[in-house]
Amino acid sequence: MYIIKNALRCISRSKGRNILIGIISLVIAVSACIGLSIRQAAESAKQSILEGMSVTATITYDRQSAMSNIGGGKGNGGFDRNQLEAIMGGASSLTLEEYQLYATADSVSDFYYTMTAYFNGSDGFEPVNISEALDDNGGTLNGGLVGGYSDETARIKGGLANMMSAGDFKIIGYSSESAMVDFISGVSLITDGVVFAEQTDENVCIISEELAIFNNLSVGDSITITNPNIDTEAYELTVCGIYSSTETNNIPSSMFGAGEDPANRIYMSAAALQKIIDASVTAANEDTETESADAITATLSATYVFADTDAYYAFEEEARALGLGDTYTITSADITSFENGMTPLNTLSTMAGWFLIVILIIGAVILVVLNIFNVRERKYEVGVLTAMGMKKWKVAGQFMCEVLVVTMIAIVIGAGIGAVSSVPVTNALLENQVSSQQSESNRIENNFGRGGMMNGSIPSGENESGLGIKENNKFGNMVSGAANYITEVNSAMNLTVVLQMIGIGLLLTLIASVASVLFIMRYDPLKILANRD
Amino acid sequence: MAILSLQNISFSYDKTPVLKDISYDFEKGKLYCIVGKSGAGKTTLLSLLSGLTTPSSGTILYDDKDVAKIDKYTFRSKYIGVVFQSYNLITKYTALENVILAMDVAGYKTDNKKQKALELLKSVGLDEDETDRRILKLSGGQQQRVAIARALSYDPDIILADEPTGNLDRETQSEIMAIFRSLAKQGKCVILVSHSPDVAAMCDECYKLTKLTKKS
Repeated sequence: MYIIKNALRCISRSKGRNILIGIISLVIAVSACIGLSIRQAAESAKQSILEGMSVTATITYDRQSAMSNIGGGKGNGGFDRNQLEAIMGGASSLTLEEYQLYATADSVSDFYYTMTAYFNGSDGFEPVNISEALDDNGGTLNGGLVGGYSDETARIKGGLANMMSAGDFKIIGYSSESAMVDFISGVSLITDGVVFAEQTDENVCIISEELAIFNNLSVGDSITITNPNIDTEAYELTVCGIYSSTETNNIPSSMFGAGEDPANRIYMSAAALQKIIDASVTAANEDTETESADAITATLSATYVFADTDAYYAFEEEARALGLGDTYTITSADITSFENGMTPLNTLSTMAGWFLIVILIIGAVILVVLNIFNVRERKYEVGVLTAMGMKKWKVAGQFMCEVLVVTMIAIVIGAGIGAVSSVPVTNALLENQVSSQQSESNRIENNFGRGGMMNGSIPSGENESGLGIKENNKFGNMVSGAANYITEVNSAMNLTVVLQMIGIGLLLTLIASVASVLFIMRYDPLKILANRD
Repeated sequence: MAILSLQNISFSYDKTPVLKDISYDFEKGKLYCIVGKSGAGKTTLLSLLSGLTTPSSGTILYDDKDVAKIDKYTFRSKYIGVVFQSYNLITKYTALENVILAMDVAGYKTDNKKQKALELLKSVGLDEDETDRRILKLSGGQQQRVAIARALSYDPDIILADEPTGNLDRETQSEIMAIFRSLAKQGKCVILVSHSPDVAAMCDECYKLTKLTKKS
């Protein structure tokens, strides 16, 4: 007990030296506090986003992997046509049964899919914004693209249009209500009628307000859609609902076809759409004048929903165990978006980590040197105390106690200053980091042209998400993916940081004291006092 | 019976013999003086007696117990009180704090350490207003008195003093010697190390050390 009393007395009697040690400890404490706060802010942001995020993932075909597996290419005599067709074409598609098989994995909490097929209209049912330049070729858009381009450019772009769209209407079949994300998020709202029943196989659909107005349709009316390849193959649908959508058409319909215009989307049950496709395939096979390739085909897009990121990461192993080949990869736009959004804060967190290490090393070295000077300066005092019979470890304990008290006072003050300054400092640094990240993205876009024409298609804006973390949606890049950067944190200090600060204080005390303890243990009181005499 | 006994003590420093075959007995209630010229080994003998160093050969007995077998820190802090030539007080502490510190180090139990320290300082002739002064604000004589009070604070059986009057004026010398005589009368074993014939003359017994030459 008297050791502590002596330590406090010595601190008060040697103000100059202890203030110096205190200032150095304070600088270390403030720097450490800000560094730790930045790291904590990054961790909190990550946790808060992950907590509120339901992860969705899709299975995609990995062409590069497929090519590697086949082993063709330049060095191996190249790929033959069949191999390339297999890689680029049908081999990439999984069947609905396969998608459903992988959905049985324990990690999957929900599964839904959408089917997308293109149809043409009929005499009484035409798409919105259809180009006047349409030719007579069943509503495809080659003609619309030719104007203003050279022959070669028109040929290329015409080909693109053929590839991108094959009909006036894009009919999307949903397997469940969970799949209708636009209606769940509020982008689309039913204004009249109702949504078709889940999993119904009746030919009922919902259409957009624009389409309804354009064709003078109301709930209960029938519409006729046709196979784009066979004009005579028609299907009748009943409009059960009309929806409005805040989604705007960002894609030039003259380039990609009327079917890509959101107004020309028709939603129905996946089961009903599947029935139409089955009927089309059957008709194509039975009719000798048509080829089976003329039947309507649908693109399948399956989505797996996971409760959290751990489940998402566990899914890959489970899916592989269920037979998913190496040529397929599991990707999550949510995870990618989350990782992109975290990039500036993560970079800052990494930098803060290194800064913290450097500060601690420099601080520890300074404190060790100061303590060695301190002990050497107080050598006589050590000699007297040990000559009086005070054990060396007690003397060392007193010296450690002095350093600990000064360091802890500095840590407390430093934590206070850090708590006040960490948020603005973090935000200022984060702003620079985000700005740098955005500049880099802009340069990539400008230089490589990706997203150039689509940039800004998603409105910029800020939104608050969990724990006062602001995300800034600065990019509307459909190709590279929108990056919602975290640009601001509202709180950085918490109990973890305080405990870490105390840990740092103890660590610094220990490091700073080790050298002085070694000196004290080495001292011989007789020699000290004899030299003094 | 001797409270402290040196039995055939020899001590060499870097292979140079300083003390050879010394055998002295010190009893309670007596004032002893160890005299000798400079270099005769007086301070070395004091270091041996105070447990700051150990003899090259021979045995030191404290109350019939081998000092080598007693923890040196316990021996120094509890059984023996040393008044060093240069006092060796903690300069950043006050006189009172120095005395209380010695009691703390010794683990001395008393109801009121401060009260006891004040009484001791008063008994060695320090004024009350001087007890709260830092050591460097006190004169040599006052520091000497504080050092004596510190040595007495935990009530040891033996008091050792190295040149206790060396730096003092004649009047103060007399006062300090009177304190030592008084302590001997109270039953303490007081051992002074001095080269002064005057000090030796005031002691009950004297041991004379002679400088060892190569022949011896």
